[in-house]
Amino acid sequence: MMGISLGKSTRRSLLAMSLPVYVLLYAPLLLIAIFSFAPPPLARGQTFYWYADLLHSPEVIAAFRRSLTLAIGSSVLGTALGTLMGFGLYRYRDRRARGFASALPSLIIYTPIIMPSLVFGISELIFFSFIHGATGLLGAGLLTMGIAHVTFEAPFVALVVFARLSGLDPNMFEASHDLYADARQSFLHLTVPVIRPAIIGGFLLAFTLSIDDFTISFFTAGPGSTTLPIYIYSAVARKGVSPDINALATLMIATVIGTGLLQYAFTRNRTRKLVARPGD
Amino acid sequence: MSAATASRRGSAARAERFGRAVRLWVTAGPGLAWIVAFLVLPSAILLGIGFFTSGSYGGPELPLTLQPLREVAGYSILGWSSGNITVLARSLIQAMSAGVLTVLFAYPVVFFIVTRPPAARPLLLLFIVLPSWTNQVVRTYAWMELLGPESALSHLVQSLGLLQPHLGLFPGVLAMQIGLTYNYLPYMVVPLYAAAEKLDWALVEAGRDLYASGPRLFWNTVFPQTLPGLLSGIILVVIPAFGDYVVPTLLGGGKSMMIGSLIASQFLETPNWPYGAALTIFMLVFTCAGLLAFRALSKRLGGAEESMM
Repeated sequence: MMGISLGKSTRRSLLAMSLPVYVLLYAPLLLIAIFSFAPPPLARGQTFYWYADLLHSPEVIAAFRRSLTLAIGSSVLGTALGTLMGFGLYRYRDRRARGFASALPSLIIYTPIIMPSLVFGISELIFFSFIHGATGLLGAGLLTMGIAHVTFEAPFVALVVFARLSGLDPNMFEASHDLYADARQSFLHLTVPVIRPAIIGGFLLAFTLSIDDFTISFFTAGPGSTTLPIYIYSAVARKGVSPDINALATLMIATVIGTGLLQYAFTRNRTRKLVARPGD
Repeated sequence: MSAATASRRGSAARAERFGRAVRLWVTAGPGLAWIVAFLVLPSAILLGIGFFTSGSYGGPELPLTLQPLREVAGYSILGWSSGNITVLARSLIQAMSAGVLTVLFAYPVVFFIVTRPPAARPLLLLFIVLPSWTNQVVRTYAWMELLGPESALSHLVQSLGLLQPHLGLFPGVLAMQIGLTYNYLPYMVVPLYAAAEKLDWALVEAGRDLYASGPRLFWNTVFPQTLPGLLSGIILVVIPAFGDYVVPTLLGGGKSMMIGSLIASQFLETPNWPYGAALTIFMLVFTCAGLLAFRALSKRLGGAEESMM
């Protein structure tokens, strides 16, 4: 690789301009964490006062459980639909075909990704309220939220699976065909094992997207389906900055940053092993 | 005999094509149908509502009309008012300033990272991206704390006489700008970094050998090479910032609405679905125009268009 020779003063000014950006990125998060350890005046010395308060709040516990239920349930279905979509489009689409009809599946898959989440959420709100008004089914709640979540998760899973399949040798599928495997056998015994990392990665991505989503959840939620982000939002909109929300936010920040760093350490070790393998 | 074989071969090919189509619909069909049923159809309904008359409870009623679209431009039954244009203009200005600010912050950071040893780069990039993995509501809430009337920052500004005592830096236009820039900065850094990592430094060297100095060297050798990344970054920042909902509702307050909060209030507070839908049409037109401009520009730049599927 070509050496990068920047002058010392350029390097120093780059550092001087970047350091404040790093500080600014973490300062607000850090501040929340610091405030979360400040107990109310009557409970001095109890550093974890607000955290204990959280654990005793049935609303928070319920919201947390709902978030998990929603994320796991929707990711399972989203991963199944997405995997089949990614596989089907890779394997069975006539790639020589041109025109609108053959571009249609990609257009459909990209719609949830491109659609601004506010438009996404409001579309669902209106759609479900029409259906509910006409049939009495699908009242706003965890089910409608789940349907919306599956809709934005599946395309991402499809993209991950499609990318993985594109990196494989296409002759593999011909070989399984030559060995008299039918489509179902070939899918279950060849495709699924080969794309397993993509399926797991897609599931985790779907899970993260679901847990993290606020806007779409907010517009599809009903009175009894408050998830964690919605709980925080309504508490903040109602009473502004408050210490118990600080504690809850700190827990969420710590979980995300911890998971991110663990994932980094894990993938780095694995790449190291992969790099080291040809040597031994 | 040969004709029979040929026709058999032809029908076999047809059968195979048919089989492929069936398998395509069996595998990809359920997912595609799901997206059509639960997003394509609902958003088409939403856009359609923009052409209905607003009923007494804000719901869509016949006859069909262009009144909601005229309302977006500021014409209501009471005559023209500038309120709407102000909100639309504010959203545009906020989104575009967020674009400019993220570019200004991202360039030094990106070049700081790419000039580090290769082993350190992923971690430095990770530290830029990590905050954006936390929930947007949490991230935005953090700034309410930092900019509130009791915060050190507000006290500082108050003591400088720039702000009346007991007032915070939030809610307001400034807080919204900070929130948007903070939220979308990683979306600028990542594509720019991808472009900068592939940078051909030989060109920079050549420029330096020709005695080009700082800004000219950057403008003529570095900037053109990072332009594709910059364009993707602008798309990833400006479009979502324009339609953002969380930042304007939490940091903007009632006096400084953006199109996102204006649309939402037509469905949540005092309902006027047709008007909300008309605003949505405007927002989607803006989104599509942005994406098309991006496509045209990146095609002209000769950048390989990334098509995954």
